[in-house]
Amino acid sequence: MCVGLSAKVVKIGEGVAIIDAGGAKREVSSQLIEDLEPGDYVMVHAGVAIAKITDEDESETDQLMEELL
Amino acid sequence: MKNQTITMAHGAGGRQTSELIDQIFKAHFSNPDLTADDAAVLVPPAGKMAVSTDGFIVSPAFFPGGNIGKLSICGTVNDLACMGAKPLYLTCAFVIEEGFSMEKLEDIAAAMEKTAKEAGVRIVSGDTKVAGKGQVDGIFITTTGMGEIEEGVQTSGDLAKPGDAIIVTGDVGRHGCTILLAREEFGIEAEITSDCAPLWGTVKAMMDQTHDIHVIRDATRGGVGTVLYEIAEQSNVGIRLDAAAVPVDPAVKGVCGMLGLEPLYLACEGRLVIMAPKEVAPKIVEVLKKGPYSQNAAIIGEVTEEQPGRVVMTTEIGTQALLPQPGGELLPRIC
Amino acid sequence: MSKTAKEIIETYDGPPVRIMEVCGTHTHENFRLGIRKLLPGQVELISGPGCPVCVTPVGFIDEAVYLALEKGVTICTFGDLVRVPGTKMSLAGARAKGAKIQVVYSPTDAEKYAKENPQEQVVFLSVGFETTTPASCLSVKQAREDELTNYSILTANKTMPKAYEALKGSADVFLYPGHVNAITGTELCESLTKEGVSGVVAGFTAKELLTAMAVALAKYQEGKPFFVNAYPRVVTKEGSLPAQKLVGELMEPCDSEWRGLGVIPESGLKLREAWQEYDARWKYQMPKIEGKPNPACRCGDVLQGKCKPCDCKVFGKGCTPLHPIGACMVSNEGACSAYFQYGKE
Repeated sequence: MCVGLSAKVVKIGEGVAIIDAGGAKREVSSQLIEDLEPGDYVMVHAGVAIAKITDEDESETDQLMEELL
Repeated sequence: MKNQTITMAHGAGGRQTSELIDQIFKAHFSNPDLTADDAAVLVPPAGKMAVSTDGFIVSPAFFPGGNIGKLSICGTVNDLACMGAKPLYLTCAFVIEEGFSMEKLEDIAAAMEKTAKEAGVRIVSGDTKVAGKGQVDGIFITTTGMGEIEEGVQTSGDLAKPGDAIIVTGDVGRHGCTILLAREEFGIEAEITSDCAPLWGTVKAMMDQTHDIHVIRDATRGGVGTVLYEIAEQSNVGIRLDAAAVPVDPAVKGVCGMLGLEPLYLACEGRLVIMAPKEVAPKIVEVLKKGPYSQNAAIIGEVTEEQPGRVVMTTEIGTQALLPQPGGELLPRIC
Repeated sequence: MSKTAKEIIETYDGPPVRIMEVCGTHTHENFRLGIRKLLPGQVELISGPGCPVCVTPVGFIDEAVYLALEKGVTICTFGDLVRVPGTKMSLAGARAKGAKIQVVYSPTDAEKYAKENPQEQVVFLSVGFETTTPASCLSVKQAREDELTNYSILTANKTMPKAYEALKGSADVFLYPGHVNAITGTELCESLTKEGVSGVVAGFTAKELLTAMAVALAKYQEGKPFFVNAYPRVVTKEGSLPAQKLVGELMEPCDSEWRGLGVIPESGLKLREAWQEYDARWKYQMPKIEGKPNPACRCGDVLQGKCKPCDCKVFGKGCTPLHPIGACMVSNEGACSAYFQYGKE
């Protein structure tokens, strides 16, 4: 229901952040996340950073599989 | 010429029309075949001839990596090259909006001159019309090209055969992405330039290596995905695509990720899709990699007998899934 | 060596199970990645109502067309909505009649457009679930800060909790929409296990989807209702508190019509009275518009998992992605579009 893009924060402004995905940059709203810093990764939807995240799904899924079995 | 603009008088056929032709078009396109007469008089080629025509409208007319002038030469030259034809002659017709900057028109003509020269084609006839403000968007150009087909070469969209390898001559989707960003509608910035390039040299280099090539198509509007579906249908074959092997610039991927677009469906203006027997494909790729516009050439799939008319992708998890059929207008999406 | 997620899915030999992809992006990705092909016969994937375009009723498009053509406003919209058929025409149809339809990436861009074009009245089509609603709210807040009088939104925002109630029983396991949970947290989904509703919060990469499916199948075999957050890198228990606060400040629950599901009480959001000058319905005194969907279209049944797209008479014949009759054929993540594009399985 919602296309999300994980991207790296490269610059912080007033209520906004510049994010970078593979060299494509765009200003997004950072108002939903406190204490965002350059270098953080965020999930972006419709021009808004909706969550601070880790950028890789490897350890996440590994851990889940371990718990499962 | 600074600050001058095109007026209706430039299209009225009088003194100002001649001035425009002399100052801009003659200055850039001059060659022995381009005369002041009503038609060009040419010696036809000895072998078979290829003819192609194409209209160009692009907004904005200037974009990173080119402008509408360069595009109007590349588009037609590449259509000829896809048939194995050496481009010989070109005609061009301009429809220009009243108020269009003379300086920009000069830049466009200069780009056409440079590109035509590189492609080895002569502009032999032209026409200029001026349309009232708002009746066209800046400038439209239509070019028609004539070329001589190299002996022993036969390429066509209906000649793909099971067992052919599919080659793309570089990373996909750059032109479409460049234009999307140049319109500045989505606030996205990226260092992406159009792949717009004249490709006769690229085709010639392949032909010098082998004539055993079944299909050459330039992946313009609709991108590589659309071309693959067209060929699958025309040749009544199936196509298997290795998703991971399709070269895509990371920034193009990033832009597509933001807007929910598929790079395979974004336009290219300097990329060919080639189908040739598996055995000769590595040799073709080797030659392509030496060319200026095809250093990232890659084998991206093969032609099969299964599921004729369809394009099946091998996905990142090793399963097979259909590539969605090309749709209508490309619209960014949130879902 | 233990089994991989892919192997668990491929070798599942438990009881028959119906898994609902609540989120349309999951439907789309499962097709794109060929995950459906891995599933043994007794595992059925059902597409759910989680596609904002698909559940938006015909009447909403009619309202937008009315504003564009009768009131002369500039419509700013996500690209997804442009081709959705209304009773008489889509927004693309209205554009051909001279309406100004501007496609935007973000509601904040719509607000910016209004600011830069003060001579135009601008209406943003505010569709979407919990994930998208905060973006709309941010644009309204910004409009007030910028003292704009030419910006408003036409709301059709929806929330999931009541929909889960309505869908209870239509599947054995829910694949919960990860990006909705990123905002709402997981408490509601966890508490649904008490009512016997099982589910897994799923992410969107190939690895995440495979893992979520594997977890769902492994847990289902154990026979007890379960909840697992299989997207912990994005989804937390409490979700996004700033987003919840923002939406609560600007909006309040209202009854909302879902295509196919009908009106679900308290399943929508509208602007509170304190913000009504940004509510396009209030601002333009919107008349009551009853949308009439094409009677042949079974999008409604498809959205409830009552039928497969290919069971619909017009599927693939009168209704194709190029000439859609129903919304599920328009949206990239609509079930009908996915079935049409990727083949009927």
